[in-house]
Amino acid sequence: MTRIAFGRRAALVSGVAAVAAPAILRAQAEPVKIATLTPLTGAGGPYGPVMAKVAASVVEEVNAAGGVLGRKVQLVSEDDQTNPDAGVRAARKLIDVDKVAAIMGTWASSVTTAVAPLCWESKTFLCTVSGADSITQLPHQGFLVRTQPNSTLQVARSGEFMLSLGARKIYTMIPQTPFTQTTFDLMGKLVAKAGGTHQGLVYDDKKTTYRTEVDQALRTNPDMIFAAGYTPDTVVLLKDIYRAGFKGKIIGFGYSINQKLVDQIGQPEVVEGVYTYSPSPDEGSTAYERVKKATGLARPDPYTCQVYDHASLVLMAMEQAKVATGVAIKDNIRKVSQGGGKAVDNAVDGLKAIASGQKVDYSGASGPCDFDDKGDIIDCKFRYEQIKGGKFTLVKIA
Amino acid sequence: MSLVLQALVNGLVSGTLLAVPAIGFTAMFAVLRFPNFSVSGVATLGAFAGYVAYAASFGLVGSLAVAFAVAGAVGLFFDRTAHLPLVRQGALPAAIASIASGLVLENLVRLGFGNDLRGFDRPIARDIHIADIRVSPQQLETMGMALAVMLAVFAGLAFTRIGKAMRASADNPELAALKGIRPRRVAMMASFVGMGLVGIGGMLLGLDSSIDPLTGTRILLSIFASAVLGGLGSPTGAVLGACLIGVAEELSVLVVGSPYRTAVGFFAILIVLTLRPRGLLGERAF
Repeated sequence: MTRIAFGRRAALVSGVAAVAAPAILRAQAEPVKIATLTPLTGAGGPYGPVMAKVAASVVEEVNAAGGVLGRKVQLVSEDDQTNPDAGVRAARKLIDVDKVAAIMGTWASSVTTAVAPLCWESKTFLCTVSGADSITQLPHQGFLVRTQPNSTLQVARSGEFMLSLGARKIYTMIPQTPFTQTTFDLMGKLVAKAGGTHQGLVYDDKKTTYRTEVDQALRTNPDMIFAAGYTPDTVVLLKDIYRAGFKGKIIGFGYSINQKLVDQIGQPEVVEGVYTYSPSPDEGSTAYERVKKATGLARPDPYTCQVYDHASLVLMAMEQAKVATGVAIKDNIRKVSQGGGKAVDNAVDGLKAIASGQKVDYSGASGPCDFDDKGDIIDCKFRYEQIKGGKFTLVKIA
Repeated sequence: MSLVLQALVNGLVSGTLLAVPAIGFTAMFAVLRFPNFSVSGVATLGAFAGYVAYAASFGLVGSLAVAFAVAGAVGLFFDRTAHLPLVRQGALPAAIASIASGLVLENLVRLGFGNDLRGFDRPIARDIHIADIRVSPQQLETMGMALAVMLAVFAGLAFTRIGKAMRASADNPELAALKGIRPRRVAMMASFVGMGLVGIGGMLLGLDSSIDPLTGTRILLSIFASAVLGGLGSPTGAVLGACLIGVAEELSVLVVGSPYRTAVGFFAILIVLTLRPRGLLGERAF
């Protein structure tokens, strides 16, 4: 075994050399900082931890391959508690104390809406998985992209699906969210066009019982109920709908009506036949396989796939710009995400190609990741499922 | 009309469940003289203790007993170590400390169980229709248990030595001490029983819905509003207050929509403090 002697003199010399080196070189040696701000607790709690984990795996791979711009990447992970107040506090810390170039993974639309202004004012780039239309309509000056289809697209697709199932009297039960109004407006128009009727109510997502709300809904004799809440309230809502003896169809978001909800209700007949739909990750893709490996999950959720893509895109945009700032990401993210070039599906390959001067076009685990000028994704698939015997069975991906 | 009647029934059911923790809260206030906001964490803890016991097939009653014992013991521990030493400086420091204890407890539960939702593995049955009104057999069962617990508490307060001592101590601590009632012992007892009731309340409310670390936080305002409305320090008042808050919350759904439900609690507190600071059945304003 060889021992490397590192005497006092050598230490002194290297210390002096470090101090004497130009400031810019020392700055280069500082790590590139990016952050995740995901819901580790609250309604998004089932998703946030895996989202943070997958971002860390991207950073780890990139660091193992030499980092970005010759610098190590450091990931800071904070908890937004699925709560705008906590989200803003955490974002302030990430921006003011950690001075990160990008924040990734805000989940609830309310949190993203609250955090976005801090980001564009401080020229920090924000990647989000929230769906509310209003988010990309904010004056974000380009400092925001989202990989989740906006609610207009989501509600339109779900409405079309409900109509295709033969529903004509649809009742929407939804908590107060930034996409509540869009949902009512859009569903109203869609259903009216098909000759049906649409009604709905907004409920408080912190109640422990929805008996009165369910009574209100059932009085309109709906043939389909659109349960558009989050998991904790939807558990209560579905139980109360079952107790009330509703015989029609039920549909809800995939992020809310998931295996956790089924396990928690614990009685398959309560959720038998319930439909769900969700933006689908690109399940055949190689990037999706990488996410599977990184998370150890057989079927990683769409948000985890999206955060994998956030981290990859942000790091590649920095390499493309040769600068590790939020502005650089803003100006370069579309140069690595779309517009042709070498097809890449992960950050390490992308960084290598960019460093060698090639143009790249990233397609990730969540889909092609092409953005329009407002920051919305252009294309995305949806996955429709139905619960049968307590298991989710695929209806179609379209 | 039947919609209103149904809302009334629903409100009474949730009010009955709410009454159990409200009694605990108000009883502790009567003896310890500070609003103990750690009930949010204790209710969550009780719900999870009951959940674990129920999963270990203790049965419903056994699980309620476990919820009572665990919540009571932990609540008492926090009272002794964190809140009571501060009461001498006034009710406010103790109240603030209790908010902190609630957060600590909530996060301890989170540490042990994570954020996942959990449901008691109870059969979910279709409702029974009586004329135009729906009631769920489970709700009746839960309500029955809540009523039994309340009866036991009132009987305890009326007929047992320690119950009488608690009432005496709440009424006039100095006089009670002169009569040989040990105030410290009564305080500990009030804390244990009060917190135990809060734990039972957390479990009862979780039985029909689901539990997670925020279970207690969600009901904190309703508990507090019930106790204030009924008159802080009055157990009968707490029951009345809880029923009124329960009914008001359900009726508000019909009138202004359920997103404004939280406002009901605040509104009740505002009205009571303005018009009748001692509450409906309270004997004096604190």
